[in-house]
Amino acid sequence: MRGQQDNRKRALALAILVLPLAAFVISLGIGTYPISPRALVWALTHPGTGPTPEGVSPAVRDVIFRIRLPRLLLALAVGAALSISGASLQALFKNPLVNEYILGISSGSAVGAALSLVFLGRAFPPQVAAFVFAVVAVGAVLVISGQAETHSISLLLTGIIVTAFFSALLSLIEFFASPYVLQALFFWLMGSLSLASWKDLYISVPLIALGLVFLVLLRWRFNVLSMSEEEARSLGVNVRREKILVIASATLITSAATAVVGIIGWLGFIVPHLVRLMFGADNRRVVPLSAALGASVVIIADDIIRGLSSFEIPIGIFTSLIGIPVFVILLKKARKVWL
Amino acid sequence: MNIRVRNLTFSYRDFSLRIGDLLFESARVTSIVGPNGAGKTTLLKCLGGILPVPRNRVFVDGRDFAMLKSREKARLLGYVPQEHDSAFNYQVLDFVLMGRASYISPFSLPSREDARAAEEALEFVGLGRFASRAISELSSGERRLVLIARSLAQQSTVLLMDEPTTFLDPKHEQDLLTLVRKLADEKQKTIVLTLHGLEMAVQYSDEMVFMKGGAVAASGRPGDVFKEPLLESVYGMKIRILDFEGRKVVIR
Repeated sequence: MRGQQDNRKRALALAILVLPLAAFVISLGIGTYPISPRALVWALTHPGTGPTPEGVSPAVRDVIFRIRLPRLLLALAVGAALSISGASLQALFKNPLVNEYILGISSGSAVGAALSLVFLGRAFPPQVAAFVFAVVAVGAVLVISGQAETHSISLLLTGIIVTAFFSALLSLIEFFASPYVLQALFFWLMGSLSLASWKDLYISVPLIALGLVFLVLLRWRFNVLSMSEEEARSLGVNVRREKILVIASATLITSAATAVVGIIGWLGFIVPHLVRLMFGADNRRVVPLSAALGASVVIIADDIIRGLSSFEIPIGIFTSLIGIPVFVILLKKARKVWL
Repeated sequence: MNIRVRNLTFSYRDFSLRIGDLLFESARVTSIVGPNGAGKTTLLKCLGGILPVPRNRVFVDGRDFAMLKSREKARLLGYVPQEHDSAFNYQVLDFVLMGRASYISPFSLPSREDARAAEEALEFVGLGRFASRAISELSSGERRLVLIARSLAQQSTVLLMDEPTTFLDPKHEQDLLTLVRKLADEKQKTIVLTLHGLEMAVQYSDEMVFMKGGAVAASGRPGDVFKEPLLESVYGMKIRILDFEGRKVVIR
């Protein structure tokens, strides 16, 4: 009985791990300009220039390489980044309600990226300022809430205060931005993948990949770090050092993602919860599966957005509109499991 | 393996702990007793490496405790907290496995040997059949045993237990202390625990340390130190000790 259940879970876990790859390939063909599987395969295997075969439009290559590939790669990276940082931070702060948004990392990154956009222009990579301000924001949250033994409530309240402060800063930046920049800023802030370019990818994807590898390697350690600080210390963990390590990685990947796509809320919250509901609390599973599921969710959500209408709803709005009701249902159904 | 404490002081707000000289010996059960706020838990946490200890104050087999890395401390001393309260509901075996943290690099996973050590520890406390249960499904007595199992998986020779019997019914209290005895007698562990139940402390320990106001009031074998005048001065109340069929009974 138990063994059978284990096998089913293992199969499900495997399915979730390959889901992003499958979603990625299938999504290359989806959009306002539909591409047949045959044309898709041809384009992917002939990336350079040269004549197109019978029945394949020359536009196919452009659509795939200039629009869809960067967009999907970004969706993949961002989904994985936000979900894995949510899962890691929840374990680290021993609190399933924590995520990169609550800790001020998202709003800090947004302020940094907005400042960079307004004052340094599009040519300068916004990731740098995003990371710096994200560190400032999360640092402020930790200092104000009294980092030592983090009481959940004080941490959450401080997070709200710091986030509010950075939102005000953001409004101030918007106030001073020229109308043209303001419009770009506005779309970006709502969380949009439509602006994806290779240039953004070249900077953000390696940073995200780096943090991702790091957090995935640490996955068992998160179990120990989710114990009280005293317990973790008595188990032989240098809590302070490892805490800084994890917060730095989570901040790095969140700011790298936010700098390019704006704020996509609720993902780092809901995805790890879903995974925990399906597989239990063991972070050896929760951490990598959150990354895989998060990547798939963003890719599929983006497919829906692109398929739904000719105009695009920003994905940040979409994830919040869908995510919050889903979360409320989960919370009602399974309160006792993890709270 | 023994622990020697020498002139240890630790201050926290308006409380201060002052320990002159104490020795906890190998394969012995030492219970620390005394009223609330006497500093029992603080002492235990200093020994457990949870609270910072200055140099040349605590020695484990002659090695200065303050100079050890957190990993090394954990391999020498295991600490069993009073209660465990987590936001996450781990499976029992996964929980016990966390005791192996000091043997596993932060960037790797527990090996098969680690898993075996965890299984053995769980088996030793008699909860082998609960391995794949969720922590939340256990009773508080069983949870206490799981905490002990986690410390056993740590394979430290010293075990520090903070009030392991609180909230346990008499039967579970007795079972737990029998297990503690077994750890000292069969596994040669050095055991230091804080207790409130004086009768149990007398019955199960080799040494007793009486604490009051952050200092040691008396220490020694139960037969030598467990006397009415000492108890009355430590607890500040009238206490009588009766002998009943070779056992000490405390009347208050």
